[in-house]
Amino acid sequence: MTETPVPSTATVASPAAMPAAGSLVRRLGLPAALVVMVAAFTVAEPRMLAGDNLLNVVVQASYLTLFALAQVVVLLTRGFDLSLGTAVSTVSVFAALLLTGSFGGAAGTLAGIVGGLALAAAIGAVNGAVVAWLRVSPFVATLGMLNVCLGLASLLSDGRPVAGLPDTFTTLFYAAAPLGIPAPVLVALGVAGLLYALLHHTVFGRSLYLVGGNPRAAEVAGVPVRAVLVGAYALCSLLAGIGALLLTARTGTGEPNLGGTLTLESIAAAVVGGASLRGGAGGVGAAVLGALFVTVLANGMNLTRVDGNVQAIVLGCVIVAAVVADRLRTGGGR
Amino acid sequence: MSVRPLDHPPVPLRPDERALRLMAAIGLLPLLLVAAVVVVGILEPRFFGLMNLLNILRAASFLAIIAAGQMIVLISGGFDLSVGAVVALTSTVSASVMAALGAALPEAPATVIAVGLVAGLAVGAVVGLVNGACVVLLRVSPFMVTLGTMSIVGGLALLLTNGIPVYGLPEALVRDFGRALWFGVPASVFVAAAVVALVWLAQTRTVAGRHLHAIGGNPQAALVSGIATRRHLVGAYVASGLLAAVTGLVLTARVGSGQANLGGLDLTLQSIAAAVIAGTSLRGGVGRVERVAVAAVFLAIVTNAMNLLRVDSKLQLIVLGVVLVAAVAIDELAKRRQIRD
Repeated sequence: MTETPVPSTATVASPAAMPAAGSLVRRLGLPAALVVMVAAFTVAEPRMLAGDNLLNVVVQASYLTLFALAQVVVLLTRGFDLSLGTAVSTVSVFAALLLTGSFGGAAGTLAGIVGGLALAAAIGAVNGAVVAWLRVSPFVATLGMLNVCLGLASLLSDGRPVAGLPDTFTTLFYAAAPLGIPAPVLVALGVAGLLYALLHHTVFGRSLYLVGGNPRAAEVAGVPVRAVLVGAYALCSLLAGIGALLLTARTGTGEPNLGGTLTLESIAAAVVGGASLRGGAGGVGAAVLGALFVTVLANGMNLTRVDGNVQAIVLGCVIVAAVVADRLRTGGGR
Repeated sequence: MSVRPLDHPPVPLRPDERALRLMAAIGLLPLLLVAAVVVVGILEPRFFGLMNLLNILRAASFLAIIAAGQMIVLISGGFDLSVGAVVALTSTVSASVMAALGAALPEAPATVIAVGLVAGLAVGAVVGLVNGACVVLLRVSPFMVTLGTMSIVGGLALLLTNGIPVYGLPEALVRDFGRALWFGVPASVFVAAAVVALVWLAQTRTVAGRHLHAIGGNPQAALVSGIATRRHLVGAYVASGLLAAVTGLVLTARVGSGQANLGGLDLTLQSIAAAVIAGTSLRGGVGRVERVAVAAVFLAIVTNAMNLLRVDSKLQLIVLGVVLVAAVAIDELAKRRQIRD
């Protein structure tokens, strides 16, 4: 009788098999670094912990959290979205045009919100379709979309900010503070909660991890990989679109260059938080922690009057350090 | 037990299959290039004006140098997002060195220029070395490493100059090189031609070039076959840094001052676009520098043509984005057809 060799499962790394100590470091490393950083900045500048500064930090972090969450969704599938920043600009301008358009009143506000989000989802769906069906690498596909959105944003707005947004919109997405919590923070918390449920309790969410972790296995297991990819990119842009509406309400105008450095900041925040460029790792926690970390760092350096150029250098060092730390935590190997 | 023969019996190709194979063999790019020239020439005769052609060549030469470096890293299976920032730092460092030294040694411009060039190249080599070391020793994703160094290097360039242009370059550098025509052609074109020739030789005639392709194509196999993977990878990043520095020096000589806003993320993305349109694979192992040079010329022509035809600059961005994605998608399609045969 011959025995058929059974493929060993020992070589397949599973989260459950991780040593507990490593897992503890992984969970507590970044929060500990965050606490140390806050303490250090507080020693240098006591205003760090003043009530209005803390509120400021949390509001700032909630915008970046949304964009980092968006980026995490595609990072899970081994992709990334370079067009996020310019998509934000395009959505901002488009929504502002609808808001200030001929609808007027509540209809106009609704049109702006729905139209902006629909455009965002459409941009993402195109990215996803190019990646999934044309098999273009995410880098090139979203780099192309970066250009397209950059052009669209200034074409739609003629390069000028779109002013005159209705008060209902700016109140709803910026000034409102039910229970004393500013609207951007509430939105970010709500989106984070919904995304957590989506990632962990739906088939689509689990498929994202599977597609990123092992695309071939996902295909064999019957996951509709292409549809999942399109969904991931559409969801990414949709989340970025929500962030775009919040930022538009804050500035009070539709800005053709609102996105600026958001793409790289969002990728940096997600990766600093623990999302992996190799797919399949990270989640809501990574985006929230990473966004908080990057925001506190920037805020602390502003308070201690660190030169803006030095800030760029520090952020670069932090990014490299974060990926190195990630590599050390998860061990070597490719 | 029978062994499957390796050779397929010859299968007659359908005409469209043959066209696709031909396209895959010579690349879509030369065809697109010729088509672009013909269409633009008919629509706008000024395109063939001498000054315009020189402008195109000059723009293409800057892009070709930096894209050749980007291609080397892409072949190794990596990425270099820091090249644009290296251009900025090279420009400010070399200009500062030349301005300071020029004030001290006004009688010896040749020495001043030589020291300035060396300082600029050193910047590129050091940044490339750091990138390569991080990728190789720490095994960190090239995307993140070079994203970090991009931020660091760009910040250093601004810090060094406070964003103010550095004047006081030796007159000879700007007059006889940066803005000069050699044999009726911008001097930078000769630099680009030399770079392309050197990279081509390295790719096709040296062991290191062969090894780099092997490493990018299959790192595991390369390691097992005894190739010094780490040394080659570091070398690839140093080469990319050096070529970015060369671009920075040529641009500095052209502009006539050291500027922290030369290069930047735009140039980085353009260098990747040129390499990728030329068929360089982002998965590593595949790339040819002569095609990258053609792609640089193609991009320069498309941009120039749209300017001549007064295409709205915003529409130009959209067109470039679509061209980039379309070029890669067609390339991918042709490859898949080939594999299926």
